[in-house]
Amino acid sequence: MMIAAYGLSKFFPIRGAFRSTASLKAVDDVGLKIQNEQVVGLVGESGSGKSTVGRCLIRLLNPTDGEVLFDIPDSELAEYEKARAAAATERLDAIADRFSLLRRSSSELRPLRRLANIVFQDPYSSLNPRMRLADIISEPMLSTQFCSRAEAGIRARELLHEVGLPEFFEDRYPHELSGGQRQRVAIARAISTNPKLLILDEPTSALDVSVQAQILNLLRGLQQKYGISMLLITHNIAVVAYLAEYVYVMYAGKIMEWGDKRKVLRDPQHPYTKALMSSVPVIGETMTRTVLRGDPPNLVVPPLACRFHPRCPVAFEVCGWSADEVVEDLEYLLAGKYYGTFGDGVHVATEGDRTIVVQGTTDAQRISELVAREQEEIRSLKGIKAVDVTADATLIHLHEPIEPDMYPSTDGREVKCLLFRTGALVPAATS
Amino acid sequence: MATVTESKARFDELRLSGKVFLSNKTAVVGLAIFLVFIGDAFLVQVAPGVLGVQYPDSVVPPQFTQTNPECVGTAPEAPSFNHLFGTIQYGLSGIGCLDLLQLVMKAIRIDVAISFFIVLVGAAIGTVVGVVSGYFGRWLDEAMMRVTDVFFSVPFLILALAVGFVIGRTLVNMALALIIIWWPLYARYGRSLTLSTKEATFIESARAAGSGRLKIIFRHIMPNVLPPVLVQISLDVGTVILIFSTLAFIGFLPSNALVPELGAIASIGLDFVALGDWWPVIIPGAVITMFSLAVNLMGDGLRDVIDPRRRS
Amino acid sequence: MSDALEIRDLHVRFHTRRGLYRALNGVNLRLARGEVLGIAGESGCGKTTMGLGVMSLLPRNASYPQGQVVFDNKDLVNLPREYSERVGDRFSPKQNERILRRVSKAMAPIRGRRISMVFQEPMTSLNPVLPIGFQVGESIYVHDPAQLARRVLARSKATPELTRELVSLLAATHGDETSVRKFAAEHDLAGIEEQALFVWSRGDIHISRKEKAIRALSGQPMNFVERWIIDTVVRARSIPWYLSRIPILSRIVRRVLMREGNRKARELLTSLGIHHAERVVRMFPHELSGGMRQRVVIAIALANNPEIVIMDEPTSAVDVTVQAQILELVKRIRTSVSASFIVISHDLAVLAEVCDRIAIMYAGRIVEVAPTDEILHKPLHPYTQMLISAIPTLEGKPVEGIQGDVPDMRAVPSGCAFHPRCPFAFEKCREVIPTDLPHGSDQLVACWLYEGK
Repeated sequence: MMIAAYGLSKFFPIRGAFRSTASLKAVDDVGLKIQNEQVVGLVGESGSGKSTVGRCLIRLLNPTDGEVLFDIPDSELAEYEKARAAAATERLDAIADRFSLLRRSSSELRPLRRLANIVFQDPYSSLNPRMRLADIISEPMLSTQFCSRAEAGIRARELLHEVGLPEFFEDRYPHELSGGQRQRVAIARAISTNPKLLILDEPTSALDVSVQAQILNLLRGLQQKYGISMLLITHNIAVVAYLAEYVYVMYAGKIMEWGDKRKVLRDPQHPYTKALMSSVPVIGETMTRTVLRGDPPNLVVPPLACRFHPRCPVAFEVCGWSADEVVEDLEYLLAGKYYGTFGDGVHVATEGDRTIVVQGTTDAQRISELVAREQEEIRSLKGIKAVDVTADATLIHLHEPIEPDMYPSTDGREVKCLLFRTGALVPAATS
Repeated sequence: MATVTESKARFDELRLSGKVFLSNKTAVVGLAIFLVFIGDAFLVQVAPGVLGVQYPDSVVPPQFTQTNPECVGTAPEAPSFNHLFGTIQYGLSGIGCLDLLQLVMKAIRIDVAISFFIVLVGAAIGTVVGVVSGYFGRWLDEAMMRVTDVFFSVPFLILALAVGFVIGRTLVNMALALIIIWWPLYARYGRSLTLSTKEATFIESARAAGSGRLKIIFRHIMPNVLPPVLVQISLDVGTVILIFSTLAFIGFLPSNALVPELGAIASIGLDFVALGDWWPVIIPGAVITMFSLAVNLMGDGLRDVIDPRRRS
Repeated sequence: MSDALEIRDLHVRFHTRRGLYRALNGVNLRLARGEVLGIAGESGCGKTTMGLGVMSLLPRNASYPQGQVVFDNKDLVNLPREYSERVGDRFSPKQNERILRRVSKAMAPIRGRRISMVFQEPMTSLNPVLPIGFQVGESIYVHDPAQLARRVLARSKATPELTRELVSLLAATHGDETSVRKFAAEHDLAGIEEQALFVWSRGDIHISRKEKAIRALSGQPMNFVERWIIDTVVRARSIPWYLSRIPILSRIVRRVLMREGNRKARELLTSLGIHHAERVVRMFPHELSGGMRQRVVIAIALANNPEIVIMDEPTSAVDVTVQAQILELVKRIRTSVSASFIVISHDLAVLAEVCDRIAIMYAGRIVEVAPTDEILHKPLHPYTQMLISAIPTLEGKPVEGIQGDVPDMRAVPSGCAFHPRCPFAFEKCREVIPTDLPHGSDQLVACWLYEGK
C-alpha cells in the first residue's frame, strides 16, 4: 500500500478576539487508501476539504487527528487494521511507529520528501518568479540530498525534455512561459526525485481545454512509465474519469462514496454523487438532472449527522434534521401555503434541541395531515416523529438523528448513507 | 542560438524597464538632480581639490581657534560672481568668513552619506525583523510587532532628542537615533510583503520539496520582498534628509562641533536673518528641498518599473 | 425581422508598452431576436473583449480601427472608430479617454437598460456596502424610473372594487397574461398587471393569501407632493430636470421611487427562484453564497426588460451543482423573457445546454458559427474538431490536446491564425486570411479546406 489514512481530521481554529472560540471542520474523519502504482481521484466541490486532505497526507499541514501510514507492506497493513478493529493500542503503536508520517520529526521527514511530492493548481503562483527554471526543478533534488548540484543541473535538463520542453528553457524565468508550459515545469519539479507518490491538486483547472488535454496525456504517460501512485484532486469529474482507477467523492469535509471509477461514475449510489453526476453538463446529451437546492453548508456549525441531509432529495427521518431546520420550513408552510387553514396568529418556535412548539393552534390532526402530505417535497418534515397537544399549543417531537458510517454497497464500493445501512433505522411507531 | 534569444529576452526586459522609467518625465528630472548630488558627494570624497573644496570634514580649517582679522566687522556678502551663493560669518564675532557654495558642497557629501546610511541600516534591521516575524507568525510575530508598535508610538523628535542627550550629541549618534526611529517602518512593510509572498504556493512547493526554513526565507521570500523594499528605500532617503537636517537645525549638533551639515549651516545663517541677509538660510534650505524632491520623484519612477500593471 | 445585434468586421487593439495587442481581428456576428448565442473559445481569444466592446466598456488604451456594432440601426462604436481612423498610429490613451467619455454619455440610454451584462465574478459588480434590494432597485431607478412610477400610480388609482374584479379575472382565466394586460389598459391601470401576475404565479402561498395580496394593491395612500411627482414622472417617462436638480424635491423623488424599487427587487428575486426574497433584499452581498450572488446579478441584468443580455462566463466561478442551478435558471428565463442572449464561456458543454447557436472564436476571429447540434456533431473547422476532442468525458475516452499554445496576440500568425497548430494547413493558409464560407443552410466556417465545396 502506498499510503493509507485513517480518521484524518483537520480543524482550522477561527480566531476570536482573544482566543479561538470555534473551528472550521474542513476535514472530518476521512479514510483513504492508495495502492502502489494506482491513480486515485478525489472529487468534490470547492470548500469540500479535498485540497486539505492532499496537504495533510504529505504533511504540508498537520492534521488535527488521524493516522497516515506511508509505503507500508500489505501484510503489515492488514495487521494494523486488525489491531485497529480490536483497539489493541500497543500493536497499533508498534506498526504506526514504523510507517506513520505523523510520528516523524521534521528532520526525519526530509528524506521521505523524496518519495512524495505535489503539483498545485495555479502554475502562476507555484513557481517562484525570481528563480531560473533549472533552479526550480533542482530544488527538491538539492533539498533532499538526492544528488549533487552538478548532477541536479544535468537531470534538470533531462526532466525538461521528459515533460516536453526544450532544454534551453533551463535559463528562462517563469514569466516567459505560458500556463501549460509552467505546469509542465511544476510536474518536472515534482518528479525530479523519482517519487513513488504524487499529489495532483487541481493540476489542470487553470488551463484551457486544449492544454489540459496535453497535460493529462503527459501525466498518464509518466504514470505508465514510472509507475507513480497518484492522488488526483479535482472538481472536474471528467478529468478523474480520464486518469483515475478509483474515485473518492467528498462533500463538506467527509467522504461520501468511494469505489471503482467506472462504477461510481456510471452508477452512483450516494444521493450526493447522483446529483453531482447529473449536474455535469455533457456535450450532446440532454438529460433530466437533479438540481440540488441551496448551497454547501457552513463547516463551522456543520449540519447534524449526515452533512448532506439539508440538500438531499431523499433524506429521511433520522438523517439529522435539527429543530431549527424543521421550524424554518414549518413556519413557511403554516404562514404561506396553509395560510387558509391556520390563518394569522400561528407562531412556531424551538424548545430545546428536539422539540418544536406551535403556538396558536391545538389542531394536531391538521398539522399531522399537512406533514404527511408535504413531506415528500419538503424533506425536513420527515424529521417529525410525533405531534402532541397541550392546553394551548401543539408540540412536535423530532426523531433522534443517526450518524452515518461507511456502509458496503455493491461491487465493493462503500457509501456513507443511511440508505445502505442494514437493519431497522426508523422506530416502528411514528404517530 | 538559444543563448542569443535568451540574452535578447533579458535585454528586452531591461529595455522595457528603461522605457517605463523614461516615460515618467518627472522621474527623469529627479534622477538628473540626484546624480548631480551624488557626483558632488563623490568628488568631495575622492578629489576635493577639483571643486576647490578644502578641509571637507569641517566648517572651518582644523585647529582653527583664532579670530580671522579679515572678517571682523564685515557683514556676510550677498551672492555675487565671486561667491555664487554669497558668504556667511561663522560666529557673530566673526571667527571666519566662509564661502557658502563651498560649505554647501561639503555638506551635501555628509548629508547624502548619512541619510543613505540611516535608511540602509534601518531597512536592513527592519526587513529582517519583518520577514522573520511574518514568516514564523504566531507568538513570535505578536511579540515582535508589539515591540515595533512601542517604537512607533513614541514621537520621533522626542526620541531623537532623548537619545542625543543620553549618549551624546554627535553626528553618528544622530544617525543612530534616526535608525531607531526608522527600522519599525521597514519591519511593518517587510512583514506585510512577507505575508503576501507566503500565500503563494511556491512556498508550499518548497516545503513539499523538503527545503528548510532558512532556505525558504533566503531563496524564496527575500528575493520577492527586496525589490519593493529597495523602492521604498529610494523614497525614504528624501524624507530622512529632511528630518535629519531639521534635527541639526534645531540644535541637535552642538555649535562647537563644526560639522558642515545643511541644517546646521541654515541654523548658523539664522543669526543673520534679522539683519536682512536671506541667503544663509534660504540656500541651504532650498538645497535640502531639492534633494528630497528629486529622490521622491525618482522613487515614483522606480515604483512604476517594478509595478507589473505599469509595465504592460 | 431585423437582427437584434450585428457585429461587422470588428477590430479592437490594445496599445500597450509591450506592443500592439490585436485582440479582435475582424469579427462578424449576427444575433437574431430571441436567440441564445454562445461564444466559445480559449483564454485570450478575445471573447470577453468582444462582450465589453459591444457595451463600449473597454479601457482607454483600446482602439477600434475598423468595424461596426449595429444595434437598433445605430453604430455603437462610431465615435472611437472615427477617432482611431483619424489618428492612426499616433493613438493617445488620454485623448481616447475623452472620446470614451462621450461614448458613455451616448450609451447611457442603452447600457444597462437595452443591453445589459452579467460578469463572471458577481462580487465585482455588486457594491459590498449596500443592501441587495437597494442595488437591484437602483438599477431600475437609474435606467427606467417611469416603470417604478407607473407601478405606484396604478396602486393609488386602483379602487378596492377594481382589484376585486382583477382577482376574479385572474381566477377565471387562470392567470392569463394578455387578459390581465387588457384589463389594466382598459381601466388605465398600467403597471398593476405585473404586480398582480407576480402574486398570482407564486406557488408557495395559499390562494386566500394571494387574493389578500392582490386586493392590497389598491388605494396606495399618497400626499399631494408625491402624487404630483409620480404623475410628472409617468407623463415624462423619465425624471424631468426640475425633479432631479432641485435639492429637497430630488430627495423626495428618490425616496418614493427607491421604495418602489425595493418592492420590485423582491418580486424579481422571487421570480428567479430565491426563497425568502424579503429577507434577501435586506442582506449585503458578502452574506450571500456565490450562486445567490450570481442570481442577484442576473436579476439586475433583467430588471429593465433589456433587449440583449450578455453573460460573460456566468458559471465559471461557481461549483458544478450551483452551475446546474444557474443553467436551469437561464433555460427558464429565456422562455419567459423576450430578450436575446449572448453567453460567453470557455466550456462548450455549458453552452451546449443553453444555446441555439454557438460561435467558436480563435485569435480574435470567429472561425465557425452553427446551430448547437451542428457544431457538436458535425464540426467543420479543424480547431473546433480538435477543441471538442480535447474535452474529457465521463466515459474516459482518450483526449487529444492541440499541439502548441494559443498565439501571442501581439504577433498574430499570418493568414489563418490557426495554421501553426493545424495538421491540415497548406500554403494558402499561411498567406491568406480565410473568409467566412457558408456551409449548408446556416453554418459558416472560416477555413480554406471548405473553399469551393
